[in-house]
Amino acid sequence: MKKRLDEIVEEAITALNTFEDHHDLMNLKSRFVGKKSELMGFMKKLGSLPKEERPIFGQTINNAKNKILDKFNEIEEKLKNLEYEKKIASNKVDFSMPGRPPLRGNLHPLTQIWREIEDIFISMGFEVAEGFDIEDEFHNFDALNTPKDHPSRNLADTFYIGNDRLLRTQTSTVQIRVMENFEPPIKIISPGRCYRNDKPDASHSPAFHQVEALVVGEGVTFADLRDTLNGFVVKMFGSKIRSRFRPHFFPFTEPSAEIDIACVNCGGKGCNVCKHSGWLEMGGAGMVDPNVLDNLGIDSEKYTGFAFGLGIDRITMLKYNIPDIRLLFENDLRFLKQFK
Amino acid sequence: MNISYQWLKDYIEFDFTPEQLQDKLTFAGIEVEQVTKLGKELEQIKIAKIIEREKHPNADKLSICKVDDGTDIKQVVCGAPNCDAGKLVAYAPIGTKFPEFTIKKAKLRGVVSFGMLCSEKELGLSDNHDGIMELSEDAPIGKDLAAYYDFKDTVYEVEITPNRPDLLGLTGVARDLSALLNTNLKLPRISFKESEKETNSFLKIDNQNPEKCLRYTARIITDIKVKESPEWLKRRLMASEINTINNVVDITNFVLMETGHPLHAFDYDKVSGHEIIIRNAKKGEKLLALNDKEYILDEHDLVIADAEKPIALAGIIGGKNSCVDSNTKNIVIESANFLYSTVRKTSRRLKIFTDAGYNFERGMSSEQTRIASDRAAQLLLENVGGSLLKNILDNYPVKEEKAKIKIRTERVEKILSVKIPAEKIAEYMTALGLELIEKTDKDLTFLAPYNRKDLTREIDLIEEIIRLYGYNNIPSKKEHKPIMDRKKFYLKRNIKDYLVNNGFNEVINWSFGNPEDVEKLKLNFADKDFVKIKNPMWSTFSIMRPSLIPDLMKNAEHNINHNQKNVKIFELAKCFNLSDKGIEEDYFCTGLLIGDQADIYWKDKTGKVNFYDVKGLVIGLLEIAKYGKLTLETSKDEIYIPGVNANIILNKQKIGSFGEIDPKIAEQYSIKESAFIFEININKMMEFGRIKKIKFKEIPKAPFVNRDLSFIVPNSYSVGELTSCMLGINRNLIRDVILFDEYKGKGISDGFRSLSFNLTIGTGTKNLTDENLNNLFDKIIKELKKKFQIEMR
Ligand SMILES: [Zn+2]
Repeated sequence: MKKRLDEIVEEAITALNTFEDHHDLMNLKSRFVGKKSELMGFMKKLGSLPKEERPIFGQTINNAKNKILDKFNEIEEKLKNLEYEKKIASNKVDFSMPGRPPLRGNLHPLTQIWREIEDIFISMGFEVAEGFDIEDEFHNFDALNTPKDHPSRNLADTFYIGNDRLLRTQTSTVQIRVMENFEPPIKIISPGRCYRNDKPDASHSPAFHQVEALVVGEGVTFADLRDTLNGFVVKMFGSKIRSRFRPHFFPFTEPSAEIDIACVNCGGKGCNVCKHSGWLEMGGAGMVDPNVLDNLGIDSEKYTGFAFGLGIDRITMLKYNIPDIRLLFENDLRFLKQFK
Repeated sequence: MNISYQWLKDYIEFDFTPEQLQDKLTFAGIEVEQVTKLGKELEQIKIAKIIEREKHPNADKLSICKVDDGTDIKQVVCGAPNCDAGKLVAYAPIGTKFPEFTIKKAKLRGVVSFGMLCSEKELGLSDNHDGIMELSEDAPIGKDLAAYYDFKDTVYEVEITPNRPDLLGLTGVARDLSALLNTNLKLPRISFKESEKETNSFLKIDNQNPEKCLRYTARIITDIKVKESPEWLKRRLMASEINTINNVVDITNFVLMETGHPLHAFDYDKVSGHEIIIRNAKKGEKLLALNDKEYILDEHDLVIADAEKPIALAGIIGGKNSCVDSNTKNIVIESANFLYSTVRKTSRRLKIFTDAGYNFERGMSSEQTRIASDRAAQLLLENVGGSLLKNILDNYPVKEEKAKIKIRTERVEKILSVKIPAEKIAEYMTALGLELIEKTDKDLTFLAPYNRKDLTREIDLIEEIIRLYGYNNIPSKKEHKPIMDRKKFYLKRNIKDYLVNNGFNEVINWSFGNPEDVEKLKLNFADKDFVKIKNPMWSTFSIMRPSLIPDLMKNAEHNINHNQKNVKIFELAKCFNLSDKGIEEDYFCTGLLIGDQADIYWKDKTGKVNFYDVKGLVIGLLEIAKYGKLTLETSKDEIYIPGVNANIILNKQKIGSFGEIDPKIAEQYSIKESAFIFEININKMMEFGRIKKIKFKEIPKAPFVNRDLSFIVPNSYSVGELTSCMLGINRNLIRDVILFDEYKGKGISDGFRSLSFNLTIGTGTKNLTDENLNNLFDKIIKELKKKFQIEMR
């Protein structure tokens, strides 16, 4: 009988080594160690053996059974691993296939730059003030020291609404309204839409966008103006971009200056963008004229202030290398989608 | 630290109530973490005399006493062995409230008892529970115990900031309060007599580490009698939650509370060689401390030793081998100062946290050692007896110096913005114990008290000035008036971001308009005039645009003509309209949708945009603006297809609309597919919308369950009506009802549709049984059948 047991073990191991699939494996299991197997048959016969032989034979049968079961477990484990690997292999992705496109449009490039400008100034402690697009002559011209016969008041330059209203030609109007309603210290920017009766071309648009800054307080100086502007330019265009002030005239400020920054395209060497000068005109600046302050009831002996204005469209065009301002207002999706 | 109101009153004159004092402490910079009222129970207890004692007929251990509580004779059954007739006892009448029970009329083994005679433990006066409390013979019968013991007190548990170790003593707190409240300080007067015998012929001090032991003083009192402390002392310590041990130890603790300076008492006869050596411990040296734990020391620990062994860990804890016990006859009173870092290191390493260690860690003053020692000597002689040997032993290697601080009056104004006259500054500083030594017209120079180590610079004194002046008495200079409309600013940004993140591209158009466009689009400006430009550039730009729709239609046309099939664009900009108030410049947010819901994706097919896409979008937009519920109404705007549109109503006001553009209108802009627009007046939305208050709700303990319900219903009933009916059936149970399918056509008769809803159900607190759910659904179905003639599928 011992010999037969060894044979059964041998047979089982050979069979298990050549199994085909999981189903096969289960069949083999029941054939060799199942209830009706030959091995279990021996077990049943144990009772007929003499008492003292039973433990030894029982042990022998059990050993045989365990040998088969061990092999079975080993094979089953192997099978599981194989199936796992198969699954992994078939799940392999082609990551060059497109992912699900998220629902995402984008902000107009002008808005993107607009926000960047606002955020730079907010981080420098400025508040953002808003005003009306449709203004009166007082806020748009008189309060800004513009002489009555100044050419900018012409119908050819300014859009009028009725006789006494007009479309603001710059956002300085907001500064006047803030100074009328708030006491210094004042530290604001006023970004917004302005209008001028200019025929549209590559660099002109009847509606355009400006951001103006106004700081009024005790001890505000020209150095503060330059530091603030330089601070902005560096944050907007990078630390390598220099800026310079050129004497100029604006009715609203005294002393007045034009602000240039080094050409962001060529870095100052000269190119088409900067018309080979190496510099780009960015806007106007200056110390608020004491007359302007006094007219608004702000003591110009106690308080001083500075103001400057920059073109948002122009900064946008420089940042993204947009050659024609009209592209900004055409709203062609092939243009807009480039700024994602 | 615990500050007792009554105890504090010993050192400072004030007549504030305990509640007011709490406020004063807070503004002195002493944070009160907890307030405990003492004596509430004792107020109910009366002093009574036992006039008769009888044995209980049914119980050996019980007695029946007749007690006189000053107004009446009461019968009380008592189980204590010492309830003898003639004794004065603490009697709790019926109705007395103890924290855990209330005394009621009771029958004990058949005999009625009207109240209880209390033990000290029951009254929270001590741990003694051997028998009932016995009062001295002169105690006034009928008086309540709180009044008798003067035990009404309020105890403040306070947090002393680490920079103010001077406040660790009640006199320090009193000093600070007196400066703050401008009231008199009542520091104890110290006087005592010394005997003829010289201390130094009985004890030697050898300070081997003057860097760590900054000062060491010792006194000897001989022939003392160690016993229980007198009542007043026990009461003071108990109020501060300090255990009473014996009269000697209790007095050292009393002085610690009073001055903040820790003391220690040794049994003189246990100090071997009658010599005190302050030295570093030897590595491996052992000390069995007063807390019954043995510590193994190393050479970084500073110990107080006698000729043979360590007898205390310097500044932290005493040794068992030298402690004062009931047999002690002669004591050594140690008052010393140890380097804070040494004390800290040792107490951290050995994990011993004592009051003494706590105080030393924060830096004590060497000058205080003498004051504490003198005070202890006085109190010991008064309360313990014995005689004090002559001349204190005092090892003081380097005398402490007072910090000299100059303060400029101008600087005070520069920091505080109020001008405080030099006289006032001097007054404040003197009240805090500083000494004015020099004065010019620009500045004042002070010496800071020894125990105010936190005062070293001008700015420290300025801090003291504002504390006494009152932080909230500094007048405000100029409040910031906001120029910026932050709400509107960020709302516009958030709306733009929201739309962009839902697939929209932002467009920007000029602000000019053409009245012909308005007509072409049948926009509803019937009785309104436009804002006209006097000198327009072109006739087609003759007005300021009253709506963004014309521009968006043109943008769509441009893009469709350039072969862009899917157009999802929006603009957020001003529109210009005339009203009775004049020209209104309101911000509008207007969007246009044509084509596919999403970009092409190989895995799923995308559908075409529809009415419900726009509705979801509009609701989401109001949600990100945090405006409450909107309602919808049928719109009469002619630009929309009738029946495929809605006006957006916020608090009964129209703020916008959305819908599908009438194809006849769309055609004129080369739009052949279904096109949808939405338009919201942002200014109106902000005017009429009320911002939701968001409040956290408890996350449900028991999970909600979801069940589906499908039925056929006549088209005349809206999903809104059905939903609110279902929700209304049981709002505490039905949390949500969501439509997940609509079906019309094959199998469903004309004029009917099949709807499927998913219901979220749960109490949040307990799980529902199947029976609960079935009953609920039976009810829902019954109701729906009745109201809407539904038929189950
Ligand atoms: Zn250039």
